[in-house]
Amino acid sequence: MGLEINKLKQMYYDMNLIRRFEEKVDEHSKKGNIPGFIHLSIGQEAAQTGVMHVLTESDYKFPDHRSHGVCLLSGSPKKKVMAEIFAKKTGLCEGKGGSMHIADVEVGNMGNNAIEGSITATGLGTAYASKYRGEDNVTAVFMGDGTCGRGELHESMNMAASLKVPLVYVLVNNGYAISTKAEEAHSFPENLSDRAAGYDIPAEVVDGNDIEEVYNAMNRAVERARNGEGPSMVELLTYRWQGHFSGDPASYRPKDEVQKWKEEKCPIKNLRVKLENEGVASEKLDKLEEDASKEVEDMVEFALESPEPELEDAVKYIYAEPYESMKEGK
Amino acid sequence: MRELKFSQALNEALHQEMERDEDVFVLGQDVGKMGGDFGVTKGLWKKYGDRRVIDTPLSEAAMLGLSNGAAFTGLRPVVEIMFADFITECFDQIVNNSAKAHYMFSGQLTAPIVLRTANGGGFRAAYHHSQNPEAWLMNIPGITVVAPTTPYEAKGLLISSIRSENPIVFFEHKMLYSTSGEVPEESYELELGKAKVKREGSDVTIIASMKMCEYALQAAEELAKDGISVEVIDPRTLVPFDKETIFDSIAKTNRVVVAYEAPKTGGYGAEIAGMLNDEMFEFLKAPVKRVASKDSPVAFSPKLEDYILPNYNEVLEGIKEVVEY
Ligand SMILES: Cc1ncc(C[n+]2csc(CCOP(=O)(O)OP(=O)(O)O)c2C)c(N)n1
Ligand SMILES: [Mg+2]
Repeated sequence: MGLEINKLKQMYYDMNLIRRFEEKVDEHSKKGNIPGFIHLSIGQEAAQTGVMHVLTESDYKFPDHRSHGVCLLSGSPKKKVMAEIFAKKTGLCEGKGGSMHIADVEVGNMGNNAIEGSITATGLGTAYASKYRGEDNVTAVFMGDGTCGRGELHESMNMAASLKVPLVYVLVNNGYAISTKAEEAHSFPENLSDRAAGYDIPAEVVDGNDIEEVYNAMNRAVERARNGEGPSMVELLTYRWQGHFSGDPASYRPKDEVQKWKEEKCPIKNLRVKLENEGVASEKLDKLEEDASKEVEDMVEFALESPEPELEDAVKYIYAEPYESMKEGK
Repeated sequence: MRELKFSQALNEALHQEMERDEDVFVLGQDVGKMGGDFGVTKGLWKKYGDRRVIDTPLSEAAMLGLSNGAAFTGLRPVVEIMFADFITECFDQIVNNSAKAHYMFSGQLTAPIVLRTANGGGFRAAYHHSQNPEAWLMNIPGITVVAPTTPYEAKGLLISSIRSENPIVFFEHKMLYSTSGEVPEESYELELGKAKVKREGSDVTIIASMKMCEYALQAAEELAKDGISVEVIDPRTLVPFDKETIFDSIAKTNRVVVAYEAPKTGGYGAEIAGMLNDEMFEFLKAPVKRVASKDSPVAFSPKLEDYILPNYNEVLEGIKEVVEY
């Protein structure tokens, strides 16, 4: 199904926003303005954008470690996503989360997580809660190809199918887990997501760099979930242009492989071509790109100017219900 | 007052809490039709059905994941891990999600789960059904560790745990399930973080929970015949630890024994000894004595198990040693 032009234009904007965002994060990570490990998703923007255009703020989202774009498109104040990555008090988690632990519960972002695959089990719980209360919101958990090896995923699929909960596994297959290719380390039938069939979970494999394919596949999975038909898996075939983390030279990958993905399969460039063919003026698309750049510049400025957390924040929120007999953190 | 067994007291707590609050639900292996391996969830499934009483597969990680996620939305799962030894299978969810959800997202999420589990030796069940992993949990800021001894405590502490906003690991020593004691019929809470002086004394303080507290009380009775006055304190919760009650006692007796069933090295008594060294050194007239398990796995042979685990006699001798120091 072809999507309407206005939706595609919004997606074009969002994908540019993610790319500019990641470029800036990379730049400031290398400059030393951003602490810690940073996992960039340049090249994977369609996978994140297509999925997020299906989900709403009342759906539960569990992003993974490579999910800045998911956090950006959840409906949060975007500058607060950037500020969080900069470890600032104005961030969504007041600087306590960082790139790998960003939540905004108000818009259904239940927090990304750096124990790969553990959210596939946690997402079972939000999905069960929807069913428990008779609500029609769904849960989406993000995971990479490497994460297919985690036991928690398999326990989760087994129980999700048995309990028939509204859960969608978004498998972002970018071909590598750090340096290890999926087919080198996993049982690899025709597709990684074939393992879902063993649990009676329908899976669909699509070109993760084609935003319309991503959107439509996700839409079908979410519809099934909302209709009470249980969990699904959507496998999005894509590629990360950069190393595993900001600063990783990724010497384990052949150069021509990277080149090929950049030239032939850039999700942004391909959507641009499609939109131009549909008659959208290239100046209009340039303008969307400029606006996205500008929005990201503002986010960086906000983050740079924001204060760091206070030292007293270090022992705040250890217990939701603090104990009188215990000074927190002492 | 009416008497109940420890397992019945827990069962009554679950019945009353599920009746009171529609958000409370129970999951675990065989908690439904069968009513749990130790009978703690009896009758719940019949009353509340599949939605609120879930018989799970052997999937401890997913069980805790489900509990955490549901708790994030405000539900109050009580998850049974059949034996405490199996906590290893869901440790990631406890350590990295239950304990940290509130902290790492700056208060946006809470994980009000209760993980109930049977710990302790004496069942001749050997290595994988006998361990006492309290201390593993005590090293995770964010987790509350509850350890009842009597049926009265079992009921009150479980009700408080279910109502708490914090993630709680609730130990049930399997040798206590069939012990009996007075339990009020109505619902009641016992404050988490409050120790109980179970016998007053002036010569020495013994800190002991669960099965070891029973030994401590017996020993105190026995030593009273020799004119030794033993104060017995049951911490009831290991985290938070009620320093005030315990420090007051030691300021009076100046001598202290800590008895625990886990391996001696790194067990909770080791932490208490360290804490007393830090904060109560000038009050102590004798070194803090630890009576604990040998640093060994719990063997199968009854003869070996009895040798490895701390017994009544060792508790008795430990108290004497400190008094005579
Ligand atoms: C349980 C766990 N094991 C290992 C790691 C270290 N680690 C972080 S990302 C990663 C590779 C993940 O690969 P994949 O799932 O394909 O996601 P991608 O990085 O490609 O997006 C590894 C091994 C981790 N964070 N968590
Ligand atoms: Mg990968």
